[in-house]
Amino acid sequence: MTITHRTTYKRRPKLAINKLMERRPLDGATIDRFLERHGAPIVEGDRATFLWRGEADQVMVRHRVVGLPDPLPLRRIHDTDLWYVTIELPAGSRVEYQFELVWGEHRESYVNDPLNPKLANGPFGASSAVAATGYEVPEWCQPDPEARRGELVEQMLKSKALRRDVAFGLYLPARFRTVVRYPLLIVHDGWDYLDYTSFRTVLDNLIHRGEVAEMVVAFLPAGERRLVEYANHAPHARFVARELTPYLLDTFPLVPTPDGRTLMGSSFGGVAAASTSARYPGQFGSLFLESASLVFTDIGGNHGGGPVFDPVVKFVNAYRSRPRRIVERIFMTCGMYEPLIAPNRSMVTTFREAGMEVRYVESRDGHNWENWRDRLRDGLTWLHPGDQKFVYE
Amino acid sequence: MATVTAGWRDRESDTIELDAVLDGRGRHLNLYGRLTDVLHTDRRFADAALTHRDAVDELAGVYSVRLQRALDSVYSVQRRKLRPAIAESALSDGVRVVQSIDRWYLDTVDQLEGDLRASAQAEGSEPIQRHRAEVAEAIDTAAALAIAGGHVGLLLQCLKLFDVNPAGELPVIGWSAGAMALTERVVLYNDLGPSGVVGSEVWDRGLGRAPRVVAMPHARRRLRMDDPAVLRVLARRFGDARCLLLDDGARVEVGPGGELPQGARVIGDDGLVHGVGDPT
Repeated sequence: MTITHRTTYKRRPKLAINKLMERRPLDGATIDRFLERHGAPIVEGDRATFLWRGEADQVMVRHRVVGLPDPLPLRRIHDTDLWYVTIELPAGSRVEYQFELVWGEHRESYVNDPLNPKLANGPFGASSAVAATGYEVPEWCQPDPEARRGELVEQMLKSKALRRDVAFGLYLPARFRTVVRYPLLIVHDGWDYLDYTSFRTVLDNLIHRGEVAEMVVAFLPAGERRLVEYANHAPHARFVARELTPYLLDTFPLVPTPDGRTLMGSSFGGVAAASTSARYPGQFGSLFLESASLVFTDIGGNHGGGPVFDPVVKFVNAYRSRPRRIVERIFMTCGMYEPLIAPNRSMVTTFREAGMEVRYVESRDGHNWENWRDRLRDGLTWLHPGDQKFVYE
Repeated sequence: MATVTAGWRDRESDTIELDAVLDGRGRHLNLYGRLTDVLHTDRRFADAALTHRDAVDELAGVYSVRLQRALDSVYSVQRRKLRPAIAESALSDGVRVVQSIDRWYLDTVDQLEGDLRASAQAEGSEPIQRHRAEVAEAIDTAAALAIAGGHVGLLLQCLKLFDVNPAGELPVIGWSAGAMALTERVVLYNDLGPSGVVGSEVWDRGLGRAPRVVAMPHARRRLRMDDPAVLRVLARRFGDARCLLLDDGARVEVGPGGELPQGARVIGDDGLVHGVGDPT
């Protein structure tokens, strides 16, 4: 008896860039039409092709994806001014990138992709962004005509701790009543959260659906000295814990116990939230940390983050040497494609071992507001779930 | 027909569809509106209700933590390959632990309600007594009582505050949350919600008109029905009460002792869904 074994290979369709390279003549007009048709980067299945057009000696993609070479060099297609490189891009991913260009001795860095209009907004500006197959902007951050809108009112508080007046936004849910008590969420970088994450729309929608509790949200602005005030800064912590929180508790019908109070922040704002609760343990029930810049060193002080990170590293190193319970629950999230993924992964264990309940979500995304927007539902529904489990109709 | 739509909260008065079904013969009890009135006119009750809610929230949080740990333990043991005798013994003992947490929770709820009654002094409250009298009069003259769904917590709060406890001979129709409120024990479940699968939680005692039944409306839309380990625990957890699945369109007439009709769909001890009376 003969057994034949036939292997069937599922052939991947040929990439657009490879088809282009077979074209003859491969002139400027052909490339123009190619770019007009495909745009850039070209996402095909689980692969993305980055393109650069122009004269240079070297063209590189700069990114923060662990595992890919950085910089990632592009190849020039012979006899053309088109450069390309293809990478694997897992489904659902969003990757931030910029180009680095070299002409002789001249090097130009942080160049956004002129062929790609999509940008990811981050604390240090906007970068080009590419979304893989399967990534979709969540529908719950789009305006829903059925959802009643909460109110956003501007408040002003004179801060002795910060020696200035602090203007902040206060979200009051639709149907705000004084006969109930609301949880309080205090958000660092509040205006950016409102501008870049549609936070107000997200609150309206998730509250309307009963996924998140009706809550009062204070959106704090970052001061002019953000990198100082958010880096474990005693006056900032005093302002939040000893001035803002008591003022809000006195003025609005809020849950009186710490479990009804959450501090939130992303990047350095996450450090501000964590360090404030560490300075005032037991004052806040939970933390919502998005890509928190919780950088630390195990030996020595060479953290690579520059002087602005010195107080952060000092704070995190001190905390890691003596971990303690600062809140009851922490929701943490971080993008896989950002350098902070390693410290965040490590801090999950540190926080858990200190006796806190931690839920940690990783995303195939980077250090940007769109990533933090996309994780809002995960965090808010876990920290302050709404009435959905009570509603049967 | 006296009707309760308090579970609809501020949409309580949107009764056009219900009125059409009842052919205009409904007399709406407006319990949510009455609750709102009491909260605005009886300061003592409003303060007591706020304190009560804070205490219940705290209790529910602790209950949830204890329960989840206990359920996770039972589920994880069940998923191991064990000798049948050990598996059965571990399941029974694990369920007893869960039952004891449920019992502790309900006992504490009772204590908190006692505290609320003592501090709110409803008997001396003019608005509460007036509303209770009006509600009682409406129910006394009704041929039946219909309780709609919505927010089961608020619904129960209204039913209790206004002493809605219909006499045994009065036919009562409940749907969705309304059906849950008619049972002895209201159980919440929302496995398909944004926070993922969490254990079904006892919330409160119901009116007890449908004894020995745990009403589970929209179970297929809210409960993970594909995990027998979870369903086995659910079926055994409530003693002799049966988990009655009320999926869209299901209609079940429950007898005075909690008797279920032939074919009513319940979760069996084996973690599978059976019709009552079906050959096993």
